[in-house]
Amino acid sequence: MIQIKPYDFMVKYQQQKDWIGGRGNFIAFAFFLGGISGGLYMAAAYFDSLLGMFVAWLLSLLMGVSYMAHLSHPFRSWRMFMKPGTSWIARGFIFIMLFIGLTTIQLILSQWVPEATAAITTLKVLAGIFAFAQSIYTGFAVSYVSAIKVWNSAIVPILFVTCGLSGGLAILLAITMGGDHAQLVALENVIRVVLIAFAIIIGVYLWNTTYSSTAAKEAVKRLVGGSLAPLFWIGVFLFGIAIPIVMSVTTYFVGVGSSGLLITAVVSEIIGGLALRFAILKAGMYTPLLPVD
Amino acid sequence: MRWGMAIELKRCIGCYECVLACKAEHFLPPDIFWNRVLIGESGKYPTVTKLIYNVRCNQCADPACVKVCPTGATQQREDGIVWVDEDKCVGCRYCMIACPYQMRSMYEDGNSQYFPGQELTEHEKVGKELYPHQPGVVQKCVFCKERIDSGIAAGLTPGVDREATPACVISCPTKAIHFGDLDDPNSEINRVIKEKHGHPFHPEFGTDPSIYYID
Repeated sequence: MIQIKPYDFMVKYQQQKDWIGGRGNFIAFAFFLGGISGGLYMAAAYFDSLLGMFVAWLLSLLMGVSYMAHLSHPFRSWRMFMKPGTSWIARGFIFIMLFIGLTTIQLILSQWVPEATAAITTLKVLAGIFAFAQSIYTGFAVSYVSAIKVWNSAIVPILFVTCGLSGGLAILLAITMGGDHAQLVALENVIRVVLIAFAIIIGVYLWNTTYSSTAAKEAVKRLVGGSLAPLFWIGVFLFGIAIPIVMSVTTYFVGVGSSGLLITAVVSEIIGGLALRFAILKAGMYTPLLPVD
Repeated sequence: MRWGMAIELKRCIGCYECVLACKAEHFLPPDIFWNRVLIGESGKYPTVTKLIYNVRCNQCADPACVKVCPTGATQQREDGIVWVDEDKCVGCRYCMIACPYQMRSMYEDGNSQYFPGQELTEHEKVGKELYPHQPGVVQKCVFCKERIDSGIAAGLTPGVDREATPACVISCPTKAIHFGDLDDPNSEINRVIKEKHGHPFHPEFGTDPSIYYID
């Protein structure tokens, strides 16, 4: 937990400490797991990978566990259904529950009653919608906080969804490795596009945020050149963007890469996705209440 | 009716009496502050100004904390006071994140005490009986709503009668803090705000605070 000296309280730029450090780390894990679970389900449903959808379901359950670990009173979590009208956390909780419920039924039908194609397709579409909702709401929960200027950007939900999709596609690649060659090539083509989009969105987000307020500019400075620079450049840039893009471009020229190469890319993307959530949450800073010279 | 405060900055001497009065009134545990005194400086030598701001929950008319609370634990009364129902709070901390003034605290360690390793003080023992704080939930200033409610029930007027007025207001040795009904055009607080050009703290946050500051 980050300690604040009493005489420094809100008279300097103050890092948010409630959603990072100690129990707060679990919210970063929950956001990460929600993103890749949603991304994986959408990708697995498109490529019709039952194992992929099952792993997405497992990851969503893990997200729920991580959420519970974040709460001081997890046994009261049923109350989190109460305010979907105004609270993104409440909306997210409902999205997660609906996604898990719909996917459970769909997986049971797909495994044991595969001839019920109409029901399976309907459930896949519905679960896909909630997979997307589960993935994007984490971004909205963060971007809704107008008090933290670096978060208060419309790009954050897009960034989180793209990152989740990139991680989800990477996991699907690992799952389908050694399977249908044509599907693997198609998957790699999609990953290439998503990775490039992810890199562009991060760039636009940082550039755009710099101009939104002095607090946001301070936060971006910390991310790219301050105390968070190692996390950003090594975690987000190197693992999340550079290594996967290099691998992806390599496979473009040499065809489907070796399993070692692909595993490296997959692990790298997952580390990058986790680092992104931590970097964004850690970068959250409040504007001082007294003037700063 | 909307309860509010007006704080005259030129009268505040930064003595922390309001902070201590709040701590004593609500038997607040160590490291929990419902109000604070921010001290800073602006300008450069030789024209430096010392800034002393006594801050607490602004009881905003449009509070971000109420909107983001997923359980409805953070609520707003008809008189504008924002409070937390401890039995409904799950401890997700979204309200703490959303408050631009950072005027909320999480009471984490239910066994914390002012003199660790020693026996609880008499004040702490009494506090655990009279004003038990639930661990793992969010706390904040509630404008001493218990004093206001019991005062009104006894026919007293908050802001006028000591027994019905928040502890920080009545403890201020320089009478820098005024309390009253912002919706009553004839209240003393409205007169002070109007005559001395009171303004909310950081109105750009867009939450419509009920506390005004007078330079």
